[in-house]
Parts: sequence; C-alpha cells; structure tokens
Amino acid sequence: MKKLETISRYIKRNFASSKLDLTINTFLLFIIWSFLVKIIYWIRFNAEWDIVTKNFPLYLFGSYPKAELWRPTLWISVIITLIIVTLSCPRKNNYTKLLPIIWILIVPLGIFLLAGGIGITPVASTDWGGITLTLCLTLSSGLLSLPLGILLAIGRQSNLFAIRKFCKLYIEFMRAMPLIAVLFFGQLLIPIFLPMGLEINRVMRAVLAFSLFTASYIAEDIRGGLQAIPNTQNEAAAALGLDSIQTFQLIIMPQAIKISLPALTNQAIGLLQNTSLMSILGLVEIFGISRSLLANPNFIGKYLEGYVWLACIYWLICTLMALLSKNLESKLNTDNI
Amino acid sequence: MIKLYLTGLMSLTLMLSGCASLENDKRSRLDLIKTRDKLICGVSGKIPGFSFLKSDGSYQGIDIEICKALAAAFLGSPNKVQYRPLTAPERFTAIKTGEIDVLSRNTTFNLSRDSIGGNGLTFAPVVFYDGQGLMVKSNSKITRIEQLNDANICVGSGTTTEQNLNDAFEEKKINYKPIKYQDLNQVVAGYLQGRCKAMTSDRSQLAAARTGFKNPNRHIILNDVLSKEPLAPASIGGDQKLADAVRWVIYSLITAEELDINKANIDKKIKLATEDKSKTSLRRLLGIDPGLGQKIGLSDDFFVNIIKSTGNYGDIYNKHLGKDSNLPIPRGLNNLYSKDGLHIAPPMK
Repeated sequence: MKKLETISRYIKRNFASSKLDLTINTFLLFIIWSFLVKIIYWIRFNAEWDIVTKNFPLYLFGSYPKAELWRPTLWISVIITLIIVTLSCPRKNNYTKLLPIIWILIVPLGIFLLAGGIGITPVASTDWGGITLTLCLTLSSGLLSLPLGILLAIGRQSNLFAIRKFCKLYIEFMRAMPLIAVLFFGQLLIPIFLPMGLEINRVMRAVLAFSLFTASYIAEDIRGGLQAIPNTQNEAAAALGLDSIQTFQLIIMPQAIKISLPALTNQAIGLLQNTSLMSILGLVEIFGISRSLLANPNFIGKYLEGYVWLACIYWLICTLMALLSKNLESKLNTDNI
Repeated sequence: MIKLYLTGLMSLTLMLSGCASLENDKRSRLDLIKTRDKLICGVSGKIPGFSFLKSDGSYQGIDIEICKALAAAFLGSPNKVQYRPLTAPERFTAIKTGEIDVLSRNTTFNLSRDSIGGNGLTFAPVVFYDGQGLMVKSNSKITRIEQLNDANICVGSGTTTEQNLNDAFEEKKINYKPIKYQDLNQVVAGYLQGRCKAMTSDRSQLAAARTGFKNPNRHIILNDVLSKEPLAPASIGGDQKLADAVRWVIYSLITAEELDINKANIDKKIKLATEDKSKTSLRRLLGIDPGLGQKIGLSDDFFVNIIKSTGNYGDIYNKHLGKDSNLPIPRGLNNLYSKDGLHIAPPMK
C-alpha cells in the first residue's frame, strides 16, 4: 500500500505537477508510443529478415573457406570469453595483471589464426570478411596506433628541435587530411610506388593507413593528459632521485593515460566505425558484405532490413567497447582506495 | 656540394630507370598466371546479375562466369580464380599495378580507356551491350518509343542519362516532359506513384530495380535503346599474349553458341568429331587436331574446357539474365548476329 503511494507521488511530481506539464507529457508519451507501435509492427510483420537469417555465417566470417571456419570462430570466442572475464573480474586480483598482456596477445593470435602459416593452411587475406575482418582491422590498427601516438605525444614535448618539429608537422598534417584520402592513398598509391612483384596485402595496407591516421589523434589525446599533470610532480620526482626516463615511466605516463582514457575510448569507437569506409575501397568487412548481399537478386530492395541489422551489430560492438573502458576506468581509479 | 648532390641524384635516376627497363622485358602476364596456377580477377561484387555475393559466400553473375571461363581456358579449371572486389575508382589502378590479371567488372569500353593516352588498357570483346532503356507499365499497351509522345518521363537529373534521353527524343522528333529526380531510387518511387508514364535508366539497372517491385510482371522494358554502353573485360595494355588469350576465350563462348555447342552436348560433339575425319574445322576447334590453342599460348583443349565449365554465351546469359532468372532482361542486342543481335565471333581458324 505504501509502495503504491510512493509510486503515485513520484508520478505526480515528475509527470503531472501542473496541467501544462501533464498535457506535454501525455502528448510526448503518445508520440513515442505511436512510433514504437509502428516500429515493432514493421519489425514483426512487414520486414523480411531472410537477408539476415540466410546469410548469418557470411556476416560473421565473409567468404572464409568452409573447412577452416573453426579458426575465426575460435578467435571470436576467445575475444568474447576475454570480454566476459574482464568485465566480471574483481578489482584486485593476481590475474588482473595478466589481462592487459592477454588483450595485447589477442591481435597476433587473431592474425595467426586467420592467415595461417605455421602448422595450419594459409588463407589469403582476400578471403577474410565480415565481423571477423572488422574486428581484425580495428584491433590491429588500435594496437599499432597507441604506441605510435604515445611516441608522437612525447616527441611533441621533446626538447630536441628536430624531433619536436617533426612530430608537430606529422600530427598537423595527418589531422588536416580527411581519413578517406589517407585510405585512398594507402590502397591506390602505395602499390604504384612499390616495385613490381612486391605486394603488401590490402588488409595490411588498410591497417597501416588507419594506424598512421589514428596515431595523430591519439597523440593529441595523450598530450592533453600529459599537460594536465602539474610540473611540480616532475620536480618532486627529481628530488627523489629519479632520472627523466624513470619519472616518465613511473609517474607521468600512468597518470596521463588514465586522464586521457575517455578520449581514447572515443578514438577506439571512432576507429571501429571508420573501418566501414573500407567497403568503398573493396574490402568485404561487415559493411561491404551487406552491400554485396543487397546486389543479390534474392535480396534486392531489402535495404532497410540490411541496414537496421548493421546498425544493431555496430551498436552492440560499440557498447561492449564502452563497457570495457568504463571497467578499465574504475579499475584504474585510485581516488577512493 | 651542389655538384655532389646532383651527381647523386643523377645516378639514382639512372639506377631507377635501369630497374624500369629491366621490368619492361619481363614475361607476359599469361605465363605469370600459369606459374601461379591462379587467375586474379577484378570484379565489382555489388551489381545484380553481373557479380554479387550468394548466401554461401561465393560470387555469381555474368562477370564471374567470364572469370571462370578464362580460368578454365588458362589453367584447366574454373575454380582456380581469386576474385578481388574492386570499386569504380580503384579498378584501373589495380590493373596498372598488377594487383589483378583481368578486370571483369562491367566496364564500358570507350576510346579514352582503351588508348595509350588514356587509361592504357586492352579491351576484350564486349560481353554485354547495355544501354539506356525505358520501362513502362504493361497495361499501358506501349511497346515502341514513338507511342510516348507528350508523355511524362521520370529521369535522374544531371547525368548522361538525362542527356541521352533528350538526344534520342529530339532526334525522333517526339515531345516529352522530363520529370527530374536526384537518384535512381527516387526515379523508381516517382514512377511507381504514377507521376510518369515511363522511367529511364540503364537497362540492366531497370531490370534490377524491377525485381524489387511488388508485381514485377506488370512492368516491361521497351526494346528501344537510347545510348550505347558496351561492357567488356579488360587487361593491361601492351601485353599481346594475355590480350589475345582473353579475346579468344570470349569469342569461344560466342562461337560455341553460334555452333550450338553447349555443356550438355559437348561430349557428343567431341565423339562425333573424333570419328568423322572430314569435320576439320570442328576437330581443330575442339583440339582433336592441334594448332589453335598453341597459337594463343593455351592448351589445345581450351575450348572444350571453357564449354564444360561455363557453357556457351547463351547459357551464361540465360542463367543470370534470362527469362527464368531473377533478373530477366530481354536479349535484344545481346543476341547473336543471326538473331538480330550484335554478338559475332570472327572465324576461329
């Protein structure tokens, strides 16, 4: 009884404190409701989801050889397990220290599993596709661009004139270019400069272009973190007898990265979404797969279904990334120990 | 100092040009394909009927069949192909840099792409004569372009489509009212809403759009063609060996249809030719008497390999764009010359 009373009081306070308030709220609720009904009706009755249900493996793995499908499956399940472990792991634990190393190892593991080579049949990168390729692009460019970005950020604050100018020039230059131009450069111009016969594969070229581009943004994010740390900490470290490398490694950098973490998450999510640009450059990552499937006469005209499905996948992956970063933030939080 | 610098620069240039000249007398790309035992074929992957992804992850379409025919002729098996999806801007670079061997990506054959002053490609014979067409509702009883006098016609604005429409109607002195839209989807929507009697675009695109309609049978594409878009495979310029091989593989497909040789009856024809020594031209074609294949750097049974793996041109067309396919486009210009079409193969002698 009492509970009911609190609920009714809550409603009265928040939705109907005055007559105008009530009208506006009912009106808004009505609009939301009618939209919801329409959307749900469309999802349930009008939409034909065969483009998704019939092509599920394609969305996941692209045209990866059937006999070797266990490899991308294994990789994706390792990633999912790792996400669950990371999210459910208690804050202080002996294993917690291992997690970052495992996360870094995920990338070489994935490339080894996808490409093959030692012990398992090699699969050409042209056969990679779907979510696997999207993840591969995102993770490997992320892994490459973070150290590069940190180096650029440090270089930009260096006392050495040449290094400082070079880093500054590089960052300004890369930031001033649209990503699509960098990607075109990577896909179309690099092969012209390379001697005949020598060929860097397309996935690697894409990863290189993405890393070089993202590194300049990461450098600026890290610089923001570096500048937030008061100079007195430097002086205190010097007073303790630490040399400049130790100061950087033990005192400045950990704090700077912690400060720039939200911005870095932004970059990571942006990177994931930017990989969809590769579909206009002929890689069949998840966006490219969708576009190819929409050209299949069996699925012509199913644009809405295809793209709604895509939006859901991107949303899911991005949300997981956001959760992971939140988890990391709380693990690194030293304010209330 | 400057002198030293200049000398360095000059020797570097010399070295580089040395490399370039070494590359020039390299072997034909055809030999490379054979040593690699794989044909790398540039396709679109996003054009209904020409190349698209099937649910099992394989590519299908006319452009894909051409790649398969080439692989069957060069390497003996239609499965020795690696498809490389390419977008329009990167397709020519991909040929130039050698990333792909052959481009089979419904590319319009024109002067500036074929010439050394332009893209410097070598085009193979046309595999599909596309062209701008008109679609009308079948209950309107319109069958010829002349019946569209004073009609409203939906067209995408700012494209060559609009210009072609104008040219064609002006030439025939037919009045019409263009109703302009931004892109094809809007043109289709306008047409379906009844804003215009006919809509215009490339015929293959009209056919593709039609399959998305609720009642595709109630719309027909007129036989009149307003512009020419001959689509042909291409390979790098200046490599006659490869270009010849590609050219004659495509002519083989057409020759087979002319002679009524297809997947089903090829074995019978081989048997017939083996027994009957008087059928010299057929024996040469099927590789029973050697000679033809060698001349274009292929094995003598290349013709048999092609037909066994893809069938003749008519088979390919019917499979992907024929009456029973999901994307029916009337054969029209794409018929044999003997049936009022444009496809004709020079004698394979």
